[in-house]
Parts: sequence; C-alpha cells; structure tokens
Amino acid sequence: MELRALDELLWEVPATGRDDMRVPARVFADAQLLADIRADDSLVQLQNVATLPGIVGAALAMPDIHSGYGFPVGAVAATGLPDGVVSPGGVGYDINCGVRLLVLPVDAAELGARTEKLVHELFRRVPTGTGRSDGLQLSGRELDRVLRDGAQVLVERHGIGTGDDVVHTESGGRLPGADPGRLSERARARGSGQLGTVGSGNHFIELQRVERIFDAGAARAFGLRDGAVTAMIHSGSRGLGHQVCTDYVKRMDAALGRHGIRLPDRQLSCAPASSPEGEAYLAAMAAAANFAWSNRHAMAHDVREAVRRVLGDGAAAATRQVYDVAHNVAKRERHGDRDLLVHRKGATRAFPPGHPELPARHRDAGQAVFIPGSMGTSSYVLAGRPGSMERSFGTVCHGAGRRMSRTRARKEIQGGELRRRLEADGIVVRSHSDRGLAEEAPFAYKDVDRVVGVVERAGLAARVAELRPIGVVKG
Amino acid sequence: MHGWDEHTGELQLWVTAPTEPEVFGEALRAVAEILSENGPPAAPGRELREIALEAGDRGVLLADWIGELAFLAETDAFVPDSLEALELAGKGLRARVRGHFGRPPHLVKAVTYHDLRFERTDDGWRAQVVLDV
Repeated sequence: MELRALDELLWEVPATGRDDMRVPARVFADAQLLADIRADDSLVQLQNVATLPGIVGAALAMPDIHSGYGFPVGAVAATGLPDGVVSPGGVGYDINCGVRLLVLPVDAAELGARTEKLVHELFRRVPTGTGRSDGLQLSGRELDRVLRDGAQVLVERHGIGTGDDVVHTESGGRLPGADPGRLSERARARGSGQLGTVGSGNHFIELQRVERIFDAGAARAFGLRDGAVTAMIHSGSRGLGHQVCTDYVKRMDAALGRHGIRLPDRQLSCAPASSPEGEAYLAAMAAAANFAWSNRHAMAHDVREAVRRVLGDGAAAATRQVYDVAHNVAKRERHGDRDLLVHRKGATRAFPPGHPELPARHRDAGQAVFIPGSMGTSSYVLAGRPGSMERSFGTVCHGAGRRMSRTRARKEIQGGELRRRLEADGIVVRSHSDRGLAEEAPFAYKDVDRVVGVVERAGLAARVAELRPIGVVKG
Repeated sequence: MHGWDEHTGELQLWVTAPTEPEVFGEALRAVAEILSENGPPAAPGRELREIALEAGDRGVLLADWIGELAFLAETDAFVPDSLEALELAGKGLRARVRGHFGRPPHLVKAVTYHDLRFERTDDGWRAQVVLDV
C-alpha cells in the first residue's frame, strides 16, 4: 500500500490508491505507531471508509487506530448533509460509548487506606458484568422519556445527579431528534434493567490520582488539582445500543441496491441521511446516545453514594463532574461553510477554546477530553485545540488502542497473575471475571503516552493532566 | 469443526461442516464455548427454545442465528447446550435448542457483517463471522 508523509505525523493513502476511493485516507501517527498500525488491516478498512458516498475531506484515523469491522476503531468520517450517507457501523454497536470523569474533594494521600474500602463499595453498588443487570428499573413511559430527553430526565424526575452534571456533559447529555418509536422491541428488552450498569469487555470504573498537571489554567477550569482523587467511568448504551446498530445494519444492507450503493464491506452498510432508513437510524441512534449518557449519569450517582458511605455527606456533595465525552457517535456539525454528519468511531470530539458548545467554565480552556490508558497505566485529560477544527473535524483519539487480540492476551497472562501484579503496584482490583481481566492486560494496548504525544504534537489537543490508577472496578 | 482466528479487537469465528444445517449446529457449539467459562455442563439442560428466523442470504441467516442465541443468553439467561433439531427451508430456518439457565460471564454483544462468509467448499461448507464481544 502506497503511504506518503504529508508531514512528520500525518500519513496519506491518496484517493488514487484504489478505484473505489472517493477521498484520501489519512492517519495521524509517528513512525513507531505506524508500524503497529500497518501490522493489521486497519488501513485497508480506512480505505474502505473512503469509498462511502458523500464523504468529504478524507477518511481520518487517529494514532490509536486498530482493526475493527467495517470502520476501523479510531476513525473519523464526515459526510455532507443532507444526502451524504449515515453508516451505523461508522458509529459502532456500542452507541455513545464514552468516558465521564468526576473529581473528589480529597487527595489520594488523605484517602490512603480507605482506597480499598471505596473500591469495594463501588464494586458493591455499581452492577458490573454481562447481561440484564440490576440497574434502574424504569416503566416503559419513563424509559421513553430518558430515550427522548437524556440525562436531564434522571435529575428532574428521579432526583439522580445534578443539573451541573448535565451542563458538564457533551451535548448536555441529550442528542436532539431522538425517537423511541424507532427502536425495536428487542432493543428495549435488551436495555431494560441495564441503566446504571457498567457492562463487560473494556468497560470499567477507575479511581485515580492526579499525578501531574501540564496546564494549570485548564486544570483549574476543569476543577483538577495535583494529588486529587478522580473517578473515571467508561461505558455506553449496553444491549440497547448494540441492538439498534444490529437492526439498522441489517435494514440498510437490504436497501443498498435500492439506493444504488456498492460497498467493499457489508458492515459499512449505509443509506443517505435524508432517506427513510437514514432518518430512522439517526432518530434511533440519538435515543441510544441519550440512554448511554443517562447510564453514565446514573453510575456517577452511584459513585457519589459510595463516596458518601466511605467519606461522608460533605465529600459526596463536593464530588464534581469534570465532563463526559462520547467516542462512538455521529453528530450533525457545521465545519466551515458545510453542514456535515461527523461519524466518530473510537474517536472523541475535541472542540477548541471559545467554541459555543462548551460549558461556560471550560470555554477558555477548550473541550475536556479523556483518554483512558490500559489497566494499570496512566490516563490523560486533554483540552481541544484549534488544530482539531482545521485538521480532523474537531476530533482526537479515544484511548491507547488495542495492539493484541484478546485470545493472545489470554495466552500471555492469567487473570489471577495480572491481578497480583496490579495489586503489587498498589492498584486495588475488583472484577467478576479473571478471563476478562486478562483480555485487558496493559501489554495488549499501545503506549498511551505515545498516542497522546502524537495528537498533542499534531495540534489537535493539549495535555492538561496525567491520572494514575489507584483502584479499578472491571466490567 | 470450528475455531477462532486472530482479530485485534474482537473474535473471528470460522466453521466448517459437511452440510449447511451442520454449520448452524457448529456455530451453536462455538457460542456455547463463549458463554461458558468453565466448559460445557456435565449433562445437557432441560430447557428448550424454539427459534424461527428468515434472512436474505445464508450469511445473514447465520449472523441472525448467533444473534438469537446471544439475545436469549442476555435477556433470558438461557445458555445453549445442544441442537435438538434444525431445518433449513428457503430463506429461513426453524430450530429447537436445548440448554440450561446460567449467568454467562461473557456475552456476544453483536454479530457483524464484516467479512461475513458462507461458502461451499470441496468438502462441504465453510462460514466465517466476526463477533463483537
């Protein structure tokens, strides 16, 4: 595959690379990450994305890109509205999978020996693992309200969380245009009882210590201080979102011929955003996104309740939400003079300082972005920079990015052994599944420092703080 | 026969069998393998589920089949043990599955169409599907 350097950190497969490509495929990476990226078929998948009808600019990949299905994970594709396509696979099965960060009013040193108690309390309170869990039980009508109006419904009607949490959530915790009527009964059945649950796979709640501040002004705006304890929540729309994607991939796959669309991979199945299938999916996807924000909102409430139990009422009340970001979603956005539908699959919005969509406290700092490392390694808080609007449709990476298959990770280490190693490093671990733990071993991921370094040097975002894990509840 | 190919993020399942219905039976065994951390139960369970599906082609029918088994595990805690009967007719299938109630530690979140294959070979049939886990 011909790959040319546009600069030190941006590589391009030209649109002439294949007959069916409509735009170039570009990846942000340094030489070492590029070698990892070339080891799997993610760049071929990115070329496939470049064939989507209506795609503009380039099919973009972040330095944490790895092979997925249809879209690679870590990809951005913007299509022109109204007639460019929407691709459910370009959002992914876990619609609005994302990350929420809370900051506690205590320092790690003060928490000390109570860390284990707090992790244990989180594990006890927040349902983790597979399937229908012990989440919030909502009536059908209440679920519809959540699907339509997002996290605000939990504040106003159920006394869960605060209005300040909602303000400090991407899109205010609500995508407009959501229509619960566009969800199948099967999607509702899968989501039933799963609101306020972590799930499995790479989802987690992690307690961290602010290890280092890189940008004091932005850290202050985000409420972060050196040594403080933070709680990071990584989860999404659970079975409800998975089913929405399943339903619409199938529906659009069956309608490809009618729309005259030919694709190199069926998982890219798509339809014009303005078509009946496109409009229905966008309304269902928005509902699933609202479910996901409500899911993380409910878990944040549980984090506060755990804090209350271990550290008291004052500490619970003073636990503030920094922000909440989505990294699997498609959003209508204006870039330059164009209205676009920006698909981010394993990629995070990162708007620069001054953007009107940012909450007032963050407006001078830029959008807060959270980049979880792998279990046992640092995570980063970043702030969006103007380069993101110029180069990546306002987007950065979403994590370290897998480099090793789950099967291979399990062959390399037993879950029990990994648990012992993490605990030897002072990290309290709670997980129902040793197998799941092994699959998420740190060596199965790329070097998060290197990934973050690339997006910073490329001008997409800047480091604000480094967070070190002190406890993890693994889904 | 079935096995798993390396995939960075997910699970890629391949299945070979002498006949088309046996592809579906083998896929059921692969799903049971994912759902059971401690291997198959000593004796098949007593629960039975009837499944009827239709799809535009055999590849999608296989994806729907795995998706149905995953749905039953997620919403009903039904873990499949064995295939009692399976009949392919036209674009659909009808099947009866024996299983047990359990709390699977791992689930299939979704069945993708990425590199989805259901092909005749010299020895019978070969299928391939990538599962989001």
